[in-house]
Amino acid sequence: MSEVIDGTGQREIASTRLTRMAALAGTGAKVGVNYLKYYGRRTLTGETDKESLHAANAAQVYKTFSQLKGGPLKIAQMLSIDQNLLPRAYVREFSQAQYSAPPLSYPLVVRVFRREFGRDPLDVFDQFEPHAAHGASIGQVHRAEKSGRRLAVKVQYPGVADSLRSDLRAVKPLALQVLGVREADVGDYFREVEERLVEETDYALELRRSVTLSAACAHLPNLRFPEYYPEWSSPRILTMSWLDGVPLDRFADSGASQDERDTVGQALWDFYDFQVHQLHLFHADPHPGNFLVDGTTLCPLDFGCTKQLEPAFYRKQFRFLDPALLSDPQLLETALADLEIVLAEDSCEARQEIVTLCQSSLALVAEPFRHETFDFGAEDFMRAVYEMGLENGGNERLRALRGRRGSPHSVYVNRVYFGLYTLLCRLRARVRVQLPDWIGR
Amino acid sequence: MSSDDSPRSRILAAFAAHLREHGVRPRSVGSLARELDLPEREFYRTFASMDAVEGALWSDWIDRTAVEVASGEAWQGFGARERLLTFLFALTEDALDQRSLLLLRWQPLKLVERPRWIVPLEHRYAAFLDPLIRLGMETGEIADRYLLNQAIPPLFTLHLRAVVAFHLNDESSGFERTDAFIEKSVRLAFDVLRPQAVDSAVDFARFLSSCSCRK
Repeated sequence: MSEVIDGTGQREIASTRLTRMAALAGTGAKVGVNYLKYYGRRTLTGETDKESLHAANAAQVYKTFSQLKGGPLKIAQMLSIDQNLLPRAYVREFSQAQYSAPPLSYPLVVRVFRREFGRDPLDVFDQFEPHAAHGASIGQVHRAEKSGRRLAVKVQYPGVADSLRSDLRAVKPLALQVLGVREADVGDYFREVEERLVEETDYALELRRSVTLSAACAHLPNLRFPEYYPEWSSPRILTMSWLDGVPLDRFADSGASQDERDTVGQALWDFYDFQVHQLHLFHADPHPGNFLVDGTTLCPLDFGCTKQLEPAFYRKQFRFLDPALLSDPQLLETALADLEIVLAEDSCEARQEIVTLCQSSLALVAEPFRHETFDFGAEDFMRAVYEMGLENGGNERLRALRGRRGSPHSVYVNRVYFGLYTLLCRLRARVRVQLPDWIGR
Repeated sequence: MSSDDSPRSRILAAFAAHLREHGVRPRSVGSLARELDLPEREFYRTFASMDAVEGALWSDWIDRTAVEVASGEAWQGFGARERLLTFLFALTEDALDQRSLLLLRWQPLKLVERPRWIVPLEHRYAAFLDPLIRLGMETGEIADRYLLNQAIPPLFTLHLRAVVAFHLNDESSGFERTDAFIEKSVRLAFDVLRPQAVDSAVDFARFLSSCSCRK
């Protein structure tokens, strides 16, 4: 919710399905042209500059996706988190992806209110700001007041839920082509992402999740949650108390002391640690705009994107935190086979390759869990994580491995930890870390 | 559709009922008058033709909506763009009561087709737009482009037809995509209408030509 609306420089959203399709087809064509240039240059110079080809394509695709807003950009963001799916240039472009919608006019806000509540905003609240205070992922937030209480009212962009579905259908073939993956191999991943995106358009579900998660996490120190108001909420409108504070990225870039950074970072870590390992239900959108910092209190906002893990899957996934796996390739291979990353039909060579690769990745990703206190400000750690992602993304032999591998549920687990590490790195926070207590037993 | 039993209201109600029931307009003025047990003389005193009856049916839609939106509390504080948006949202909301009639009569029309029964609606819409456009010029939302100003009402009328056409084809839940269509198309229209570089260029050119005239 970090995007500030300025009311002037907004681009038009390509509105109808047809124009969206046209925009996508245009990108397909441009990507094709870039390939032609690449092959042309290769013929002329004999050089293979595949990296610059990917860079040109990624820029083009990103541009189109960001014009379309809505689904395609979100898909791009999601896929960029699961870095193994993407060549490095795509990751670079997509990692910048931010989602924003142009502001709704006040008459349309009134229209949404009438449809949802049968009343105008000013009949529901004592005060209601006609101009949005800031954007939210698929709508915008208005300040309001009722009986002396300050409120934040999130209003969803009408038609988003419907256009999301048609966008997803439209973008899929292109995305597959651009990413160079086969539908059969990644279809599950697409479905997983689609499901979460569609959930995000249901504010009634978000309300229930927000209430559940904020109540369950209320005991954690240095966290504050907004109060939610079901009586002024609906599938398209979500009302919560207004919280003061600065967005997390602004706090991170401010002159906050190390102690303050550590406190906020610890709150962030504890928040996710408790959700993932105790509740198996978590806030799956660790984006700096989704958190406010007030003093040294962290305020998570926006539970639109949440992910629930089945206990059986949770065990399989987090078994990888067990230090024993690092020293014992046999154990690691069993764990990988459990998650279906290594398949029964893989050749001995392929197995070897995957196990070796996972060993080094795991050593790095699980590094924070090997310390009592881990300093995420240590620059080489995050750089190594990024580089590992790029290396894996650039590993053509790995990308050439066919077959459905891994679990689609891992998409959001990866996303959360990658996002969490990135936020903590930005905070330069030192965090006390504990392994889940069932590990190693 | 008022509930009084003046010949006008009775004729309009019977016309709409016939259209709903049979899917076509009443065959003739004579048959409709007979249905209402109304002398033809009385009928023709109110409406000159069947097209006039249907014209009134649709222009009432505009008038009803215009009265409704102008009575809203926030209306006085709105600029031209917000007023047009409010009007179109209200119009499409009202359309839900007569969607079956619209589907019968409007859906088969091409955007540029102007049957006689649609002309009164266009006139009423133009009458609604007139003060709105003047307001837009006062607030600076619409550039005063002299002769070109005449093109604005016909373009907005075409836009209205496009909105109705989109609405009739809309299958999204709660017709939410119609809302998005209105929001985005009106934003685009006002982006085009607001004073911009080309207006400054024309102004500058006029200034230069007046300088050269003085020499």
